[in-house]
Amino acid sequence: MTTQIEFSGVNKHYGAYHALKDINLSIGKGSFVALVGPSGCGKSTLLRSLAGLEKITGGDISIAGEVVTTLPPRKRDVAMVFQSYALYPHMTVEENLTYSLRVHGVSKGERKKAAAEVAATTGLSDLLHRYPRELSGGQRQRVAMSRAIIRNPKAFLFDEPLSNLDAALRVHMRKEIRALHDRLGATSVYVTHDQIEAMTMADHVVVLRAGIIEQQGRPLDLYDKPANKFVAGFIGSPAMNFLPATVAEGRAATIDLGKGPIRLTIPVAAPIGSSVLIGIRPEHITLTAPGEGRFDAPVAFTESTGSTTFVSTATNPELMVVETGRRMVANGDLVGLAFADTAVHVFDGATEKRL
Amino acid sequence: MRRLYSSLVDGRGFDLCLIGIPLAFLIVLSGVPLIYNVVMSFQAVDMFSLGSFIRPWVGHENYRQLIAQPEFWPIMGHTATFLVASIAGQFLLGFALALFFWMNFPGASWLRGLFLVSWVMPGLVVGAVWNWLLSGDFGVFNFVLHQLHIISDNVFWRSDPAFSLWSVIIANIWLGASFNMILLSVGLSSIPDDLYEAAELDGAGALTRFWTITLPMMRSTIGALISLGLIFTLQQFDLFAAITAGGPNNSSNVAQYWAWDLSFKQYDFAKGAAISVIMIVVVMLASVYYVRSTRHEVRG
Repeated sequence: MTTQIEFSGVNKHYGAYHALKDINLSIGKGSFVALVGPSGCGKSTLLRSLAGLEKITGGDISIAGEVVTTLPPRKRDVAMVFQSYALYPHMTVEENLTYSLRVHGVSKGERKKAAAEVAATTGLSDLLHRYPRELSGGQRQRVAMSRAIIRNPKAFLFDEPLSNLDAALRVHMRKEIRALHDRLGATSVYVTHDQIEAMTMADHVVVLRAGIIEQQGRPLDLYDKPANKFVAGFIGSPAMNFLPATVAEGRAATIDLGKGPIRLTIPVAAPIGSSVLIGIRPEHITLTAPGEGRFDAPVAFTESTGSTTFVSTATNPELMVVETGRRMVANGDLVGLAFADTAVHVFDGATEKRL
Repeated sequence: MRRLYSSLVDGRGFDLCLIGIPLAFLIVLSGVPLIYNVVMSFQAVDMFSLGSFIRPWVGHENYRQLIAQPEFWPIMGHTATFLVASIAGQFLLGFALALFFWMNFPGASWLRGLFLVSWVMPGLVVGAVWNWLLSGDFGVFNFVLHQLHIISDNVFWRSDPAFSLWSVIIANIWLGASFNMILLSVGLSSIPDDLYEAAELDGAGALTRFWTITLPMMRSTIGALISLGLIFTLQQFDLFAAITAGGPNNSSNVAQYWAWDLSFKQYDFAKGAAISVIMIVVVMLASVYYVRSTRHEVRG
């Protein structure tokens, strides 16, 4: 796979604030990359730097082999879908779609033809003569995407495009955007704070925090082998349980949930006596009768969505267990918690890195 | 009685009271004089019948006589020139200033506020200031033009019939430009930044963005401003009184000044009223356009 977009040593300062810290990232042609992280992690800044809307203060960005660091946005040949859609309110859908063609001097007849073609693929054919204010949220979203498609750009940039839609439509548009990406064979960079969007849509997920790439890789690799405590807690919902533990002899560690030490097998070797964090995903723990699991814990409360039951334990720290189906346990009941050895992640207690 | 009281305290009666007070104010202070003026323009009025409302009806005679006066068409022409030049000058200068302050350099908002000083000054004071600036022999305006080699001889702005109207127009542009600037600044800042970003990514340069995004998005602001400008410019009386008094030989006389001159200097109240009615019609049309353009505001 050839590289379509390359960030090398990219830095961005806002005055004294260091927003992007030495970002190195290469994005293959035709891939769908998600930039994900909590608010203020620099994911939008990175995307806007790629578009040219922010000037980087160090490093280089290249698109399709050409260094674009100093080029203005209009010369970079990338299309962006904004969170607010940024549709031109005084233009009809057709005029919105063909704005870039008009700016580049394409004749009116060809513009109409191009708009009709794109509208047919995105289901906007009947809406071409409406104004943005006459469209629903989902339709506006489609116009914003069509406006990007019509240009056939070197890369599609998405800046949290689904966050203004309701939950049902968001799930639908997720699939639609991904299908569109596959059909066009385009290179897409997608910014989101929603790890589910990143996991479901992207080929490659980049997790950012405080201007640093914490980890990047295929979605399931991030889920299975998080590089540190932050990624482990960020990817997956509900978040991973973390238990402070002390390494004991024979590949084991002891945890303390408030009722005396509990001995657990860990999959890695660590210096005896060092403190580590044990991570177990809620969905990897199953409930058993008391005494039949690794250890017992009292139930603090349960929440059920019908298909899934969330059980929290009255321990310190609290543990979250996700059970498929319905589980009839009452608050205060003692339950056993069972999990496989492979479900245990171990992180260094000080550096929080995976061991 | 109780119901009436409770309605007045927190019901429909209270609402009606709130609307009634300004409505009564408007009727007494604007509506009645307006109707009185319209009625008077169709009557024969002299010094002796001035105090009575019932006067001999003369139909269109006042209008006919007014139009027949030799100075009627020149004065209408001056009014049109004054309107177009003032509005164009105020708008262009105001837009240029608004775009300038939009760049948001350090101290921009402070400086922009300072510009409003010209607008809050009374017309008579502005007139006095411009009398000095435009003065033919020692005026600063002439001095600057001289230094720039635009003129070689002094221009007597206020007493030369070729320039007298323009001396008032220059003062009026100075007076109104900052008001235009403020309204246009508001219009500019209400355009979301991401539209410009989207346009930039779509390949539009700065000039294209101005023509295809800024101007169309400002359409309602501009429409409102032009009609407000028309209304304010037709109301501009103080500057004429202070700078040229309509002279020399009516060369800077305009409808609004002439109406006052006819009524209160020549005591020909009927003709003064007639010319006011003509102006009322023009202002009414401008108001309709103003209301329509503010109603059609497009906000994404």
